[in-house]
Amino acid sequence: MPKSWRVFALLLLAVVSLTPVLALSVTAFGAAARYPEVWVSSGNGTEFLTLVRSAALWRALLTSVLLAIGTGVLATVFAFVAARTLSHATARARRIGFGAAFLPVIAPPIALGVGVQVLAIRAGLGGTTLGVLAAHVIPATGYLTLFLSGVLLSYDDALEDAARSLGAKPWTVFTRVTLPSLRLPLRQSVALGAMVSWGQLALTLIVGGGIVRSLPVELLSFVQSGDDRLGAAAALLLTIPPALVLGVAQLGARRTGVVT
Amino acid sequence: MTSRDGAGYLAVALIAAPVVAGGLYSLAATVGIAGAGADGFTTARIIAVFGDGATWASLRFTLVSAFVATVIATATALSVSVLLRRSRVARAAIAIPLAVPHAAAALGVLLLLGQSGFLSRIAYALGLVSQPADFPAIVYDRAGTAMILTFAWKEFPFLALTAWAVLDAADESLSQVAQTLGASAHDIFTRITWPLLWRGVAPAVIAVFAFLIGQYEMAVLLAPSDPLPLSMLTYERALDANLQRRGEAHLLSLIALALTIVLVLVHERFRANSDALAQVVEHDA
Repeated sequence: MPKSWRVFALLLLAVVSLTPVLALSVTAFGAAARYPEVWVSSGNGTEFLTLVRSAALWRALLTSVLLAIGTGVLATVFAFVAARTLSHATARARRIGFGAAFLPVIAPPIALGVGVQVLAIRAGLGGTTLGVLAAHVIPATGYLTLFLSGVLLSYDDALEDAARSLGAKPWTVFTRVTLPSLRLPLRQSVALGAMVSWGQLALTLIVGGGIVRSLPVELLSFVQSGDDRLGAAAALLLTIPPALVLGVAQLGARRTGVVT
Repeated sequence: MTSRDGAGYLAVALIAAPVVAGGLYSLAATVGIAGAGADGFTTARIIAVFGDGATWASLRFTLVSAFVATVIATATALSVSVLLRRSRVARAAIAIPLAVPHAAAALGVLLLLGQSGFLSRIAYALGLVSQPADFPAIVYDRAGTAMILTFAWKEFPFLALTAWAVLDAADESLSQVAQTLGASAHDIFTRITWPLLWRGVAPAVIAVFAFLIGQYEMAVLLAPSDPLPLSMLTYERALDANLQRRGEAHLLSLIALALTIVLVLVHERFRANSDALAQVVEHDA
């Protein structure tokens, strides 16, 4: 294929990949331009202040951060226990285990939400942040069980056996051998779990009943009330953490030679 | 069954429990023995859902839009992976849509393609339109054009990464042997590269299709109000003031779940085929 075609394809790819993000950035930071202006040149800088002063936006950010961290940590704990147990089971039990862990991952969030909502209400958690957290933990645990099971496939128990034979108690083995050996994948697991929660809209809406205002919920609310600027700002805030996680993952992969 | 297996099954049962319990509850609510408006066993909700034209329109719209988006995403991903195989810039470019959350992507496309969006404004500056109404209505249209394009925009990077992984893992010696036996570049592509690529990417394509069927975050910002995607119809029914209709949400969610499970089984079959082919290729090489 001629080089010019390749350059054209690359340019097209860059434009297609970038334009929606550019549209968000211009809307969030540009003045509220009336049609047909693309960008108002007479902006006096107060536009940015309206973003900074939006209590709803920052409250939503805080809620999303808390939900993401809570989901990442809790789902990692549950998933680690499940993956560790499965790693010691027979091949048949493992196969069934992976299938079951896949279930909350592939269930459409709305379908999952409709069922889980009732359980949350029964437990007195409907419309609460705790209820939404519990709902987010469900798909995240399934996802992380699959991730950590993959990690544990190549994990060698020999060090733990050695520690045990030297008289270390189970808790000492766990804190002094297991955790330090798996520090990196466990950190990755927390980050992945947090990202599963971060973009959740359907589960948050249906279990949170519109009372729990995470960033995606607030984004939707801003857009539906016609405030595109705050909607775009929420969208950009939503984009930063996954971009960082992806960037760090790519950097780590390049350093360790996983991806060349 | 060993005690370790018992512990394994218990761990797994706990993970799947909320989905299974939710599913069973939905089943009970579908036949009127649980949930809001439950009034004893009845098939009325099933008859109401399957007798409602909105359900079939929603199912058709959901499947067609997910299918078209999957085709566009696959074609884009395969073109990018083959044409720009060695390009680091291309790999960096596709990381952008990968990092943008679904709701944010939908808003970006809405701001870009809406009738008073950025493309419309640029078209005005170029003298192509004189008012927003002159710009084609591709957001909230009955075909779901902007929604389909956003689906494809969000999903093609995943497929491109999968395609690159398949190409990177493919044994170059096969192509080299074919070349020494006189095969043309076209023959090598159609007889070796393409079959390997397609078999490797097919499970991911099925996964994307399954994911798009249940998509809500992008649909809620870009879908038309008629027909509604299945996820939005379910949500609308779940909040209906009429308690009888709330029961219908449970049946709709079971339909979505069933569709996904069927696709997962298809996915597993494709993956098994792909693994078998990989073993044959490895053996032959």
